[in-house]
Amino acid sequence: MSDDYMIELRNVTKRYGDLVANDNVTLQIRRGELMTLLGPSGCGKTTALRCITGHNIPDEGRVLIDNQDVTEVPSYKRQLGMVFQNFALFPHMTVFDNVGFPLMIRRMNKAERRERVMEALRLIRMEEYEKHYPRQISGGQQQRVGLARALVYRPKVLLLDEPLSNLDAKLREEMRFEIRELIDRLGITAVYVTHDQAEALALSDRVAVMNAGHIEQVGTPDEIYDFPRSRFVADFIGLSEFLAGTVSTISTEDATAVVTVKGLEIHVALTPEMTPGQNVLFFIRPNDVALLPASHKSGTNIFDAIVDKMTYLGDRSDYRIQLGESLGLRVQTDGKVRFDEGENVKVHLPIPHCRVIMDHA
Amino acid sequence: MKRGTKFRSTLITLLLLSPGLLTFFLLFFYPMMVTLTRSLRPEGEKIGWTIEHYVTFLSESRAWEVIILTFVLSIGATLCSILLSIPLGLALRQKLRAHRFYRLTMITPRVVPGLIGALGLLLLFGSRGWVNLFLIRFVPFIHEPVSINYTIPGLILFYTWLYFPFIALTTLAALEGLDPAIEEAADVAGANRWQVLRHVVIPLIMPAILAGSVLTFMASFGAFSIPLIAGGNHRPLSVEIYRQIDFTPARWSAASARAMIMAVLQVVFLTIYMRILRRPIT
Amino acid sequence: MTFIRQYLNAILRSRKLLVQTLLLCFALMIYTPFLMIALRSVGRGWFGRRWLPPELTLDWYRWAVEVTNIVEITKNTLLIAVLAVLISTAIAIPTGWALGRKNIPGKELLMSILLLPRMIPPIAFALGVAQIFYRTDLINTHIGVALAHVSVCAPYAILVLSATFEALDERVLEAAGVCGANPLRSFVHVVFPLILPGVLASMIFTFTTSYNEFTLTLMTYGKDTVTLPVRTYLAIGEGYWEVTSAMSILLVIPSIIVLFMIQRQVAPEKLVGGFKGV
Repeated sequence: MSDDYMIELRNVTKRYGDLVANDNVTLQIRRGELMTLLGPSGCGKTTALRCITGHNIPDEGRVLIDNQDVTEVPSYKRQLGMVFQNFALFPHMTVFDNVGFPLMIRRMNKAERRERVMEALRLIRMEEYEKHYPRQISGGQQQRVGLARALVYRPKVLLLDEPLSNLDAKLREEMRFEIRELIDRLGITAVYVTHDQAEALALSDRVAVMNAGHIEQVGTPDEIYDFPRSRFVADFIGLSEFLAGTVSTISTEDATAVVTVKGLEIHVALTPEMTPGQNVLFFIRPNDVALLPASHKSGTNIFDAIVDKMTYLGDRSDYRIQLGESLGLRVQTDGKVRFDEGENVKVHLPIPHCRVIMDHA
Repeated sequence: MKRGTKFRSTLITLLLLSPGLLTFFLLFFYPMMVTLTRSLRPEGEKIGWTIEHYVTFLSESRAWEVIILTFVLSIGATLCSILLSIPLGLALRQKLRAHRFYRLTMITPRVVPGLIGALGLLLLFGSRGWVNLFLIRFVPFIHEPVSINYTIPGLILFYTWLYFPFIALTTLAALEGLDPAIEEAADVAGANRWQVLRHVVIPLIMPAILAGSVLTFMASFGAFSIPLIAGGNHRPLSVEIYRQIDFTPARWSAASARAMIMAVLQVVFLTIYMRILRRPIT
Repeated sequence: MTFIRQYLNAILRSRKLLVQTLLLCFALMIYTPFLMIALRSVGRGWFGRRWLPPELTLDWYRWAVEVTNIVEITKNTLLIAVLAVLISTAIAIPTGWALGRKNIPGKELLMSILLLPRMIPPIAFALGVAQIFYRTDLINTHIGVALAHVSVCAPYAILVLSATFEALDERVLEAAGVCGANPLRSFVHVVFPLILPGVLASMIFTFTTSYNEFTLTLMTYGKDTVTLPVRTYLAIGEGYWEVTSAMSILLVIPSIIVLFMIQRQVAPEKLVGGFKGV
């Protein structure tokens, strides 16, 4: 089976003085997929992107695009399309000239250029704005023009560097769909960089979560969300509650295990790496925990608890509860049934949502 | 009461402005008026009107040589300054290690008296100066000292040396203010370094270059001490004016006429130039 | 020779080296004129095609002091400069205050008008100034020459001070008042320290403008008010390059001091800029 990837980063390391921005990063991006590099500021996602665009030359490692080693090929020869966070439109050119710029550089004749530019403008629904200047159009429109400019010469790869961060929330959601739709329609490979996990989960075919210069995990949004493999990933995506514990028993027949956390026995979904006696990190998402009245009958993973604090958030309620002697847990419910502070309740941790991360402390 | 305080406040403002306005009138407006009236008086007389000085001057073919020379020097110096400032700005905006030293170097010609700069340049480019020594020694086809001092190209060189900082400063500031993402966008779109410069960078810094060039042009146009000592037989308008006073008895009216012509030329040229600048480029 | 060839090859290969070499040439271009003046001022017997003077001597400086009375001339220059600074600053403070802090209709137009003396060729209105001075007997007086300098110093001083005063935040003054300071203490403890840098900058540049001024001085001087720039010019006419060079070094000292003072700034060019709105 040949591994035919559109973009590959092989052992890429990039340093800025003492800071290692990319530490031995290896990543494969398949043809036609939308891969998102997700992580907090400073995690190295932009650095990795710039290694792909050619604005950074890695200190070690290779960059391949379409099976060609482009590590030392300058940016302008790589035939990529790029969309920038602050749009980066040429302020002294009209929308038409902005979009037509890559074609002008490639010496396309005027008639053909016009046809392609209008086609691109139609794609983003901005044909009437061809004679406008960037300062005369809104932020969202500027970003669309940026998209058109990146796509007008039909590049093989589209790169997006936090393209939606400078837009307001509502516009962001609209543009998300537009971008995804456009990419699907053109069947192009895309690399998207963002720190917004909701965006990453909504848009991507696969997500690479990065932290402090290296990749923590690569997977589909489902995999990342439901099966995070490290504390960082679990913490960064969605809300998480972590409890340190030890694996007591394993039961391969029903694919569960028992993890003991401060005396409490919690049944979790079994994963292959688990062995008895192992130190693990139990985690569950606060919105997967169910709160039940104290009168509810007992059962597996149903524990007694007391409500410590309750915060009403409108569509949700946020609780801090106390399990047993010393276990605190955060719970979020849809607010339909509410419990007061000090009230005795029962807490249900549904087994499918009980996960475990190998504790690499 | 309200009207009273408003009146009082206006009065105070006027009082505060009065020193500046007075200086303007006494030390500029009044002298200009004196020059104007003197230019219209017969030489040495205190009464009577005549335009003979203007007519005599403008009908000499020499006059037009002088005027053209003045413009050639100013425009030449401005163009050379632009050609110097753009690469200089591009080199300095990367903030290499010694960039503060070079920034200081850039403004040095503006901080020293023009006379001294001209003297130093005369020594440097003279027949026994280092430049000629270097040329004779290292350049194969030069065996005699090249004549640079007292020539028109030499003067343009001197003017450029003295007045390029105006353009260099604005150009550097504009280059540093450019959003790097814009150049990266051009880059990714396929433009090589020259194309990025030509299509993106230079159009965007052109307003700053032109703003600085107004100052360089003005300074070159009105330059006096430099052509006085380094112009040799080439005399731009400013030196022509002074020569009239050097006669005994001094020809004040003739000098005044030339001064008015010079002032009008500069104002007219500047107005046209500023009009061109106003046309939006960005 | 081979070293030079190696260097040339290295330059062609490395862009960075090329840039650094060109920048070095640029710096040379700016500084060698001064180097030449300095060498000429201490050289003896420097004829013919030599790179450096064969002998060094301080004779020319001695000549400048003894024969051309350079000390007296320097005193003139300094006196005139000090007068010009005092008068210009006295004019610029109220005018700058009004322009910086008061709401004046057509302020930009007014500023452009006040800057006109720097937009007209100096020789053109120096002519008028000279004629007025002849009539009013101000020729060959220190105050006269100083006043002539004020015509070009004051506009710049007004510009700098109006910017300084404009930058003075009203709210800082209010805060001082709220803390209990009366107008006088407010001024001494709050306003004055804040405007001091701007006032000093303005005074420094007014001083150097007057010290270096040539055109106007040439038109209004007499045998008692010869300044360094004028004397240097006359020396050039006399043809003694060596003495002229010595005088020039003396003339250039304040400029060097100023350069030294401003080199500590992060952006020294901000202090020597052109004019806004021109």
